[in-house]
Amino acid sequence: MIFLAIRYLMERKRQTILTLLGVFFGTMAYVSVSGFFMGFQGFMVQQLVNNAPQIHIEARQDYLFSHTLDESFFGKEAIALWVSPPAGVEGYMEVQSPQSWYKRLDADSRVEAYSPTLSTAALFTSGKISVAANMIGCHPEQHSKVTTIADYMIVGKFTDIGVGGNRLIMGDELMKRLGLGMNQTVMVSVGTNRAVPFKVVGRFYSGSRGLDLQSFASLDDVQRVNQTPKQINEIGVRIKDYTEATAFARSWSKLAPERVESWADQNVNILSVFAIQNALKISMVLTVLIVAGFGIYNILNMTVTQKRQDIAILRALGYDTFDVVMLFFSQGLIVGVVGAFFGLIAGYLFCLWLQTIPFMNASPSNPQGHLHIAITVSIYIQGLALALLSASIASILPARAAGKMTPIDIIRQGG
Amino acid sequence: MGIIASHVGKEFGEPSVRVLTDISLEIKDGEFVSLAGRSGAGKSTLLYILSSLDNATEGQIEISGKDITKMPDEELYRFRNQQMGFVFQFHYLIAELTAIQNVLMPARKYNEEIKRQARAEMLLDQFGLLNKKDRYPRQLSGGEQQRLAIARSLIMEPKYLFADEPTGALDTVNAETVMNILRDCSVKDGMTVLMVTHDPDFAAMAPRQIRLADGEIVFDNQNPAALKPEVKKT
Ligand SMILES: Nc1ncnc2c1ncn2[C@@H]1O[C@H](COP(=O)(O)OP(=O)(O)O)[C@@H](O)[C@H]1O
Ligand SMILES: [Mg+2]
Repeated sequence: MIFLAIRYLMERKRQTILTLLGVFFGTMAYVSVSGFFMGFQGFMVQQLVNNAPQIHIEARQDYLFSHTLDESFFGKEAIALWVSPPAGVEGYMEVQSPQSWYKRLDADSRVEAYSPTLSTAALFTSGKISVAANMIGCHPEQHSKVTTIADYMIVGKFTDIGVGGNRLIMGDELMKRLGLGMNQTVMVSVGTNRAVPFKVVGRFYSGSRGLDLQSFASLDDVQRVNQTPKQINEIGVRIKDYTEATAFARSWSKLAPERVESWADQNVNILSVFAIQNALKISMVLTVLIVAGFGIYNILNMTVTQKRQDIAILRALGYDTFDVVMLFFSQGLIVGVVGAFFGLIAGYLFCLWLQTIPFMNASPSNPQGHLHIAITVSIYIQGLALALLSASIASILPARAAGKMTPIDIIRQGG
Repeated sequence: MGIIASHVGKEFGEPSVRVLTDISLEIKDGEFVSLAGRSGAGKSTLLYILSSLDNATEGQIEISGKDITKMPDEELYRFRNQQMGFVFQFHYLIAELTAIQNVLMPARKYNEEIKRQARAEMLLDQFGLLNKKDRYPRQLSGGEQQRLAIARSLIMEPKYLFADEPTGALDTVNAETVMNILRDCSVKDGMTVLMVTHDPDFAAMAPRQIRLADGEIVFDNQNPAALKPEVKKT
């Protein structure tokens, strides 16, 4: 029946092209919008999973709520009415048993690297300028396996902080605010402790202001300045498949008192933006495909009515219901396949073009500074599937109506 | 063998209108039968029922020894495709197909279009259409269109040819050509031809002539016994 279906389509070229265009733009929109959002989201996720550890194991500090302590004071049944309810934090400042964590992490083959750190708020003073910023103590080799910090070094190497000796690597923004230059000394004080001089041996720039306001030193140095020898308050972990991070975090948090969170847990707000984008994409694309589907539906319906006589004679010539259904169904499907084919190609070319558009200043974390567009096979397969699905749904109703027509009524009416 | 109808009746619609009453009829292989009668007598209805296009309300129809009222669809469609040819008052050619593609359309059902190509050209030649085989129906005259439709009905070498007012839309010259073709089908090719017409001259060209009135057979020149007693009187 394809033989006749193609001839029908060729005979009314204008309508065929119009319906083709519907599917064409639908698939093209799907491919480019998906590519745009997926590319953007993929880029964001890469930033999230690379700039910071994928899993954070942190000393647990919970806020006290007014009834948190009721049970331990008065037993299960009592309802306590506090005149002045308890407040504050409960928990520890440090990771309780780092050694048992190290053992656990060393034993797990899915862990790529981990890095124990002690971060603390510090006051940096250079001459008359003081800036409060985060100071992170780490083992540089281990830490650079867990985050991309080493890639962002513009002066010096990340490993220059060594294992001690009060050497500091500073973010670009922090250095600017302090008006510091390389190899100069800055006074660092933590809490009420005496200020300690540190020498700036490196500078990094990531393009992300939050990160560029931080500074790194060796773990020992920070522990000493903080007067908490041997303590750490976080272990950052990088695993082989970052999509498993949340599952890992859930299972690990049962093993020890520490709070274990994945990158996804810490960025729920960003991920919810993704969800909104995806909903937007789906509704937009569905709209386009429904419009395309209606185009096919309308034209096929009209064709079925126009071709009543052909249906009648085909049945008289021995063609059965299935043949007649296929005669019209295949027309819709051909439009779907051809429209989708060109739509996918056009979408692909459009994506290639979008990739060349600059969208922000190049920075180490986004070296090209161009739009990130995802061009993955799955998008194209989905686009094709969606186009064929909408074409099929749109064709099946008119095709079935054609299949139900009885030749005799048509012939009796003289056509 | 041939076509045997026993006690066939047909009612239409709600409230029901009786169109055919107790028709019993035997058409032998190779016969050329004309079915005449006034407009509304039920000629077309009878033809469609005998040729499986329509269903009888009651009665049985056997063709080539098979009860077509009980035949499964699959078999019925194959039977129609291979054993029956149809010609109607209007040609029902497919506008998007050329003359020869139209003729070969029945052969496509079972992918025989290549096998039947030579026969298609032979039929077109026989009907004086070979030089127009690549034309579209709209580029042919009325008479040519109807001859093309007949060529299409003959492509599968059917045993039975059903024609409902095949000359109804033609001028005298073309009508006579068509009549001669139909007669040749019976005389030369041994086909069974059942033709509905309200033209008495054309009806008379058939060796066997049946006349219908108000859904009943009122005349059959080969089988006077088939007539109803009360009809005989009038
Ligand atoms: N689908 C139908 N519904 C109701 N009545 C019908 C239908 N088809 C035909 N008829 C009636 O059946 C009678 C016979 O019709 P038909 O067989 O076409 O007559 P003929 O071909 O002899 O002119 C007519 O009275 C016609 O009105
Ligand atoms: Mg009639």
